[in-house]
Amino acid sequence: MSKKMILAIASLSVVGLMLSACGSATQSATETVAPAGSATNTGPATAVAQTATNTPLALGSVKINGAGATFPLPVYSAWTYAYKYVDPSVVINYQGIGSGGGKKAIIDGTVDFAGSDSLVTDAEYASGKDLQMYPMVAGAVAPVYNIKWAKDFPTGTPVPVLVLDRQTLVDIYNAKVTKWNDPELVTTNPGLKDYLPAATITAVHRSDGSGTTEIFTKSLTSFSADWTAGGATAVEWPVDKAGNGIGGKGNQGVAAAVINTPNSIGYVELAYAISNTMSYASMVNKAGNTVVANSSSLTSAMGDFANGFTDKLTATIVDAPGAGSWPIAGYTYLVLHTQSMTDCVKAEKILEFIRWALTDPAAGQQASNLGYSVLPAAVRDSVLAKLGAVTCKGNLVLK
Amino acid sequence: MTLESPHGHIQARRGYARRKASSTVMLILTGLTTTLALIPLFWIIGYVVYQGGKYIDWSFFTQLPRPPGVAGGGVLNAIEGTVLLVILSSIFAIPPGVLAAFYAAYYPNTPLGIAVRFSTDVLSGVPSIIIGLFLYAVVVKVQGHFSALAGGMALAILMLPVIIRTTEEMLKLVPPALREASLALGAPEWKTSLSVVLPAAANGLITGFLLGLARASGETAPLLFTALGNEYFDFAAQVRSGLASGQNPFAILAGILGQPVDSLPLTLWKYAQQPYPERTHQAWAAALVLMALVLSTNIAARLWIVFRQRRMKG
Repeated sequence: MSKKMILAIASLSVVGLMLSACGSATQSATETVAPAGSATNTGPATAVAQTATNTPLALGSVKINGAGATFPLPVYSAWTYAYKYVDPSVVINYQGIGSGGGKKAIIDGTVDFAGSDSLVTDAEYASGKDLQMYPMVAGAVAPVYNIKWAKDFPTGTPVPVLVLDRQTLVDIYNAKVTKWNDPELVTTNPGLKDYLPAATITAVHRSDGSGTTEIFTKSLTSFSADWTAGGATAVEWPVDKAGNGIGGKGNQGVAAAVINTPNSIGYVELAYAISNTMSYASMVNKAGNTVVANSSSLTSAMGDFANGFTDKLTATIVDAPGAGSWPIAGYTYLVLHTQSMTDCVKAEKILEFIRWALTDPAAGQQASNLGYSVLPAAVRDSVLAKLGAVTCKGNLVLK
Repeated sequence: MTLESPHGHIQARRGYARRKASSTVMLILTGLTTTLALIPLFWIIGYVVYQGGKYIDWSFFTQLPRPPGVAGGGVLNAIEGTVLLVILSSIFAIPPGVLAAFYAAYYPNTPLGIAVRFSTDVLSGVPSIIIGLFLYAVVVKVQGHFSALAGGMALAILMLPVIIRTTEEMLKLVPPALREASLALGAPEWKTSLSVVLPAAANGLITGFLLGLARASGETAPLLFTALGNEYFDFAAQVRSGLASGQNPFAILAGILGQPVDSLPLTLWKYAQQPYPERTHQAWAAALVLMALVLSTNIAARLWIVFRQRRMKG
């Protein structure tokens, strides 16, 4: 009998739990106990002057959830980790579920903020009228390659880096240049003339819809009128029709396909190319200079388009005209509701976090270390100005 | 037998030799194919242990994840989350599953009995991602936030068909005479089911629950849109901060169930596609922990069954 009593009590308490879990939908942070200052400030981040905390909040009591693009996931997780030491009352959880999933979640109101590489469409603005995109960092997409050289390089000399023309890259993905020793490639790589093999080029692309593909194909569209497949998160690849294309799932899938396929080329985010110690090509940009994908060539590209922002704070930065600009790049954005947030404490904490991420030198350093590039001052100031206009229940959130 | 001619006897002997030879050949063949079937299992286990074992240390079980570039960190959040989700899904799936199985086993030819079995078959064929999306629409979107609760419900729906089908099969194996004897002695139907049939079928039921649990604890897809994932989920810290702010235990538990949680398969899936080698290493280690968790639950339950049988006999 006693066993059954226990069972009955257990099942009752489960029902009670479910009911109370349903009730605590907002997880609002109203308990005011331990002062925030009492937390140990031994984190990796340099402490920033914290904004006025008139009501001290309990440790980790403000729980902020975000979801979306996987592209900025490494830098967002670095930031949220560091931010625990800046403001111990806040716990920010960001999950990479893809740009599309993130946008859907913010429109449905199931997350507090979303991350997205692709722009919010008109249809999406129709269902989420007060959505606003804020560029956070920019990232470069790099062409990676795996060539089985026709003959060995002399010992002791470093293997030269492949240089690609904008037109050549388009021609490869159009299956117009199909051999590694094609004259087009030899012209831009005179030093590799005897080493480029007569092998067929296998072009690797993403098999899933992705912001990386959108940046890459938008670049190709801008590079040459020959590219007619368009610029989108997924396109019909001409190289597939020619039988020389293969797909990989995610950046990691493309990287793996290139590593495992001799004489192949692909495109991945710079961080993946570096961490997989892959060879990535230099590009001849619009200005005619050979540039390497790195933080400074990315910053240069952002600078070229600093005035190109729309009212929604979006801009494309592909095929930048500057002398030192990397041609295949894009912004990644945070998406917020600017008027309809209901929990004002939470709203304030989110905005403070974004402001910290954009302005704190330590946060910027973390982004650079992970292969991203921080916003140029002009862009950053317009983002901060937009942030200042966010309201909660009719009042400005940031004072 | 005595009427057999010598001729026929010889024929029988020849036939015997042939049968014996073919039996040996078949025995060798079945032995070979069994070994072949076992190779993937031991290969997988061996490879995961080899790859994951290299990167496992104590802090892997006791610390929260750290971002790429910061050394160390563990998957405490995912281990706690997996346990929480499995407990939740068992609470949601086992009681209704067992009751439905009783109905389907006792009234197999009633319209409802047929409906139960038919819909169970259909449910077990629904792709798990669809279940995740369904719960996103009816729970997450309605509540306005991702939660462990929604994740537990998604896994429960996945477990349900496994539990109903195995329980039903096990109940059918219980000799009808046992049940009839109990009913004849005047015990009501519910008491017969609960204290006669259920204990008799207990061993099989536990196997069924374990199959369900194993299914649930290995799923990623239904959690993507329900439990979402949470690098900062820490049970002890939640309880501590809850107590510090004077919340009652119900409010603390509600807070825990109402927020996103991580799970081992989810962590594995996320880490495996990140560009940082230490993440890939941790993905292997997470795979090992997940495998060990499922295997040890399995083994523990088997041992418990053996122990129980001994006690009942002795």
